[in-house]
Amino acid sequence: MVEPILVSSCARATTAEEAAYRIDYPLAYARSTRVVAFDAAAAEVVRAVAERPWGQAQFYTASDSPTDLVTLAGEHRLIEAEVEHSDSVIMVATDGINAAAVAAVGAACRERSIMTAGLLLTGDGTLSGDTLAAIRPHARILLVPADQDDLVELLTAIRA
Amino acid sequence: MLRPDINDLLTQTGPGTPMGALFRRYWQPVLHTEELPEDGCPPVRVKILSERLIAVRTPEGEYGLMDEFCAHRGISLFFGRVEEGGLRCPYHGWKYDANGQAIDVPSELNNSEFCKNVKLRSYPLVKVGDILWAYLGDPAQQPPLPTWEFATVPEKQTFTSKRLQECNWLQALEGGIDSSHVTWLHGGGPSGAGLEADPLFKGSKGNHYNKSDLKPFFEVVENEGGLLIGARRNAEDGQYYWRVTPWVLPNFTMVPPRGDHPMHGHFWVPIDDENCWAWSFDYHPARELTDAEVAAMKAGAGVHSENIPGTYRPVANKDNDYLIDREKQKTGELFSGVKGIAIQDSSLQESMGPIVDRTKERLVATDAGIIKARQKLRRAAEALRDNGTEPVGNIPEHQQIRSVAIVLPADQPFVEGIGEAFVARPGVAQTTV
Repeated sequence: MVEPILVSSCARATTAEEAAYRIDYPLAYARSTRVVAFDAAAAEVVRAVAERPWGQAQFYTASDSPTDLVTLAGEHRLIEAEVEHSDSVIMVATDGINAAAVAAVGAACRERSIMTAGLLLTGDGTLSGDTLAAIRPHARILLVPADQDDLVELLTAIRA
Repeated sequence: MLRPDINDLLTQTGPGTPMGALFRRYWQPVLHTEELPEDGCPPVRVKILSERLIAVRTPEGEYGLMDEFCAHRGISLFFGRVEEGGLRCPYHGWKYDANGQAIDVPSELNNSEFCKNVKLRSYPLVKVGDILWAYLGDPAQQPPLPTWEFATVPEKQTFTSKRLQECNWLQALEGGIDSSHVTWLHGGGPSGAGLEADPLFKGSKGNHYNKSDLKPFFEVVENEGGLLIGARRNAEDGQYYWRVTPWVLPNFTMVPPRGDHPMHGHFWVPIDDENCWAWSFDYHPARELTDAEVAAMKAGAGVHSENIPGTYRPVANKDNDYLIDREKQKTGELFSGVKGIAIQDSSLQESMGPIVDRTKERLVATDAGIIKARQKLRRAAEALRDNGTEPVGNIPEHQQIRSVAIVLPADQPFVEGIGEAFVARPGVAQTTV
């Protein structure tokens, strides 16, 4: 086998000079993200974050109906339809979590192999075991505690 | 994805930069004690946080760390003569004490008066464990000496190595926080061959859990000095196997333990913006390391590296394509084809370039630990710059920390379940599986 030289060798390829030759092209939004608030306090945070410019992110609150999500405009939508074409769902909750709604969204995501993340907003740093137990099985990754900036930074980082 | 200005803020650590100011609030490891092995030994060049320095150990045993260049004509004091009481420039004989104060300028008639006004910038250099630590910040803000457990256990219970990593410090640190790469790069993916092949990892029941559950869940939890990053996998009877990685600001991480093997961890210390020192340590809180363990560490097993003799540059480096073995990559014996955990990490992190352009990233939700760590670093640097807020991580309470591996009931928060297990306690063995 012929040994590679020049740009195929790590010594050359890892220089700052060579980094300048990385192909530069606009990246598409990588994530079709759904953000769901599972209680009233979380909904306030999600509404505030939703006002920023995002790519394909869509924002909801939980519904009393186990099959629905509610858009920020107040429209009821079927959970299954809303997550069908997403590839990540961010669950946002405080200590007043709606456990049944979390389970319904979690089940819909699990059936479709959709990545889930959970942000537990704990203004005073306290969090009940019930809240954690409700969201833990359904969030592939949990941030505890989290705040509004965490939601913004997570959505920004994943190009939502 | 990260904005360019934030990427700059996090990756630039030279004098006058916000992240450089943050680093200058911490004691940082700069030399292994073997680099200044005896009183009166030759001086050693040191570059840290983009500052060129010279370290000296006087015949009287005093350590010093000062500007590398003579105040007279800019000669490198690497060529200096170590003499009683200090270091003499060989060009015109100017002599400095361990604090950089000129004490003899032979050409001057009023020697002592002239010397009063000549002082090289210097920093405190102290020995804790087998490391020489430096503090490059404002003397008035100097924190307590480091109290990390690996550096304070008895000498025979700990081993430290270092290696040159040829990329920005943040790329290296993020590897230490990113638990999700371990299954693949180091574990060998579905085969799980990687962990069982390493003498410092093999035989742990945790390896079985790693291998049998390739899609762990993660929980990122705030801790006083930084973060605790828990990775959970399924265990028996509906329980969870947790591996808990602590990160303490700005650049300390530990690897969760496996069985009764020594515990591992790292410091990622900026040399300049395109190079860093990867310090790697192993220690056991409750027993001496065995000869076999130390031999394995010196040979580059576990988190250590085999270095070119007489240097701290790994034998496998970018000049030889990290000795990648495509046949072993193909068979799965080495998942990336590169041997050894340390070089598996450095090969990939250096391949990103000296300072990776984070505007091009496509992060995923499981990168939340990295996202959170960046946020905390940025906030700490900005708070120090804008309000003078003292950062966390530079006091003993935040340094008394351990990684943990544990099996817990499914409904128990891992922070509650590990209790005091993540707190360093002298003589008490680690909590491990």
